[in-house]
Amino acid sequence: MARRYDSRTTIFSPEGRLFQVEYAMEAISHAGTVLAVLSKEGIALAAEKKVTGKLLDLSLAPGGQMGGEGNQAWLGGGGEKIFLLNNNILAGLAGITSDANSLVNFSRNAAQQHLFTYDEDIPVEMLVQRLCDMKQGYTQFGGLRPFGVALLYVGWDSLHGFQLYQSDPSGNYSGWKATCIGANHSSATSLLKQDYKDDLTLEEARSLCLKTMSKTMDSTKLGSEKLEFATMTLDPKTKQPLAKIYRPNELDALLRQLELGGTSDDQVGVGEATGGGGGDEGNVAMST
Amino acid sequence: MGDCSFGITGKDFVILASDMNAGRGIIKMKSDENKIRALGPHLAMAYGGETGDTEQFTDYVERNMRLYHIRNHNALLPPAASAWIRRQLAQSLRSRKPYAVNLLLGGFDTTTSLPHLYWIDYLGTKADIPYAAHGFGMYVALSTMDKWWFEGMPKEKGVELLRKCINEVQSRIVVQFNFNCILIDADGVHQLDLSASDPIADLSRAPEKAEVEVPNPIIAAPA
Amino acid sequence: MGSPMEYNGGSVVAMVGKDCVAIATDLRLGQQSIGVAYNFDKVVAVNDKLYYGLPGLATDVYSLREHLRFRVNMYRMKEEREITPKTFTHLVSSSLYEKRFGPWFIEPVVAGLPQPTELDPHPKPFISTMDTIGCITTPKDFAVAGTAADKLYGAAEGLWEPDLEPDDLFETISQTLLNAVDRDCLSGWGAIVHVITQDKVVTRRLRSRMD
Repeated sequence: MARRYDSRTTIFSPEGRLFQVEYAMEAISHAGTVLAVLSKEGIALAAEKKVTGKLLDLSLAPGGQMGGEGNQAWLGGGGEKIFLLNNNILAGLAGITSDANSLVNFSRNAAQQHLFTYDEDIPVEMLVQRLCDMKQGYTQFGGLRPFGVALLYVGWDSLHGFQLYQSDPSGNYSGWKATCIGANHSSATSLLKQDYKDDLTLEEARSLCLKTMSKTMDSTKLGSEKLEFATMTLDPKTKQPLAKIYRPNELDALLRQLELGGTSDDQVGVGEATGGGGGDEGNVAMST
Repeated sequence: MGDCSFGITGKDFVILASDMNAGRGIIKMKSDENKIRALGPHLAMAYGGETGDTEQFTDYVERNMRLYHIRNHNALLPPAASAWIRRQLAQSLRSRKPYAVNLLLGGFDTTTSLPHLYWIDYLGTKADIPYAAHGFGMYVALSTMDKWWFEGMPKEKGVELLRKCINEVQSRIVVQFNFNCILIDADGVHQLDLSASDPIADLSRAPEKAEVEVPNPIIAAPA
Repeated sequence: MGSPMEYNGGSVVAMVGKDCVAIATDLRLGQQSIGVAYNFDKVVAVNDKLYYGLPGLATDVYSLREHLRFRVNMYRMKEEREITPKTFTHLVSSSLYEKRFGPWFIEPVVAGLPQPTELDPHPKPFISTMDTIGCITTPKDFAVAGTAADKLYGAAEGLWEPDLEPDDLFETISQTLLNAVDRDCLSGWGAIVHVITQDKVVTRRLRSRMD
């Protein structure tokens, strides 16, 4: 009896709720934290990596140990949690990795389709809408489960400048100055609420982002094996958007500079033996 | 090919002018046909070509520009609009019955405060240039524009140059033309009355008289 | 309307040097004998080691360029690496052959420096060219296409020599292009030359006869 309104996604419960969608959102609140801070000069985006361990061969994972700036950021992305969707848009994902991959694929296709028809980079909100239209479809049309993924979108376009959006499995989206999804998101958001100021520099946004992250994550010291980090800025010369996905050594250097940890180069890849953080161990491979 | 249109960009504006003839072959049926269409708050095109195709195609473009504006709360910027219109013509070219429409697309980019002018022909050829002509104007007035156009022209000089071009067409081409003209700047699309001695002064004195019907709901730009 | 290949005019040439390649184009866009624009760049970068030029019918230049940009971007995302000159040539070729019975009126020219790999630590500079339906030729010396192709052959045949250093290659390709387009009424109106080396790309705009 208890399962009556649980089993199918597209059926309302008598209280007017869609349980499967709510369960999907619940799954995400156990996933690795993703956090972003907007400033006038650019946006900082950090994501907690859950799949770690010394036996994990990172060189085989998508992206491996790569990263980089501008075009370089395409060649490998961040790996697990941070992806470039288009030249002007980065996304941080929390939830089921395999669902996330298919969403990333969809949005990259949509962005290229826009570039093809209009010869311009897709406006950030339009891409968010495209993706949310699809996510919403899975809460309404028969027999399929919703995407177990929430995203933070970090981007720039000529109409509205730097923008930060968040979307959830129901297909809702909203714009933010600083926000967080995944494990401990509510405590992180209240920390951000305290410390956010409207006139942050990029430097300050980066440090606010990482400092809040360090308080949110369970582990005491941050390091590149547990964290991914990226920024969206404007190229000082061309005034065009410039995505930068930090390479592990760059991130460690930044963390050391902010005194938040940072793994020394010879320690990179050793990591902890198990996935740390909110989710229980059984979920490591599924929900990150 | 009985058409004639001009486009001139300046410091912070673009002017489009088009002849007003409608007819078939050697017969002129109308000399007051408007062949300039506003496509948005800061976008317009002057068009010519096969009658019928021109109306169908401009309606199609206008409605699509409006649909985009309604869906996305922002009108397409001139470069994106030019890319879309060009693609429509290029796709049509390899269809069973291609649109035979040539056009000049003028627009003002509100994000960069720059004027844009695109020369587009029925094949889907696009040129992004500071001054342009279609039809008879290409034969007799391009050289006039080469000589007199200069970077960062003020509006008065733009009108002066347009008058030189029209004069050239009227003295060198057998067909008689009337011209109508619009100007697009940061404030939108305005009608210019070429019969007035100083249409730019008239425009700044009474801008409400120069209003052009714009298809899109003008949504105030976000602050 | 005459041949679509001569409707808008324009030419492209590419040359191989010593550990470098160069590609150059004129800037004219015409409507038969009338010049319409003098800023029509027919050469596009795929990345900083690979460029290609598309002389031919201008509407198809735009269409094919947008199509290829789409395909290359998708390739870069899926493969997480840059496309090699050879693979890119085959991408262009199959894109052209897709329209075998209603072709794009374009004769592409590709020029690039392949990246060293473990299997091939010293790759040779690469140029290639195709006909309108994608039949590939990979010359060892130079590739020409466009309305001045015949004149470019003559000039290049006379000026090109093996193992030119980047500066000499720039001089050779520039003289080849300028002298050829001066004999062609559908090409000219300025030119752009790119010389690609392993550490940088040098792009220069050439002034030429404007008649």
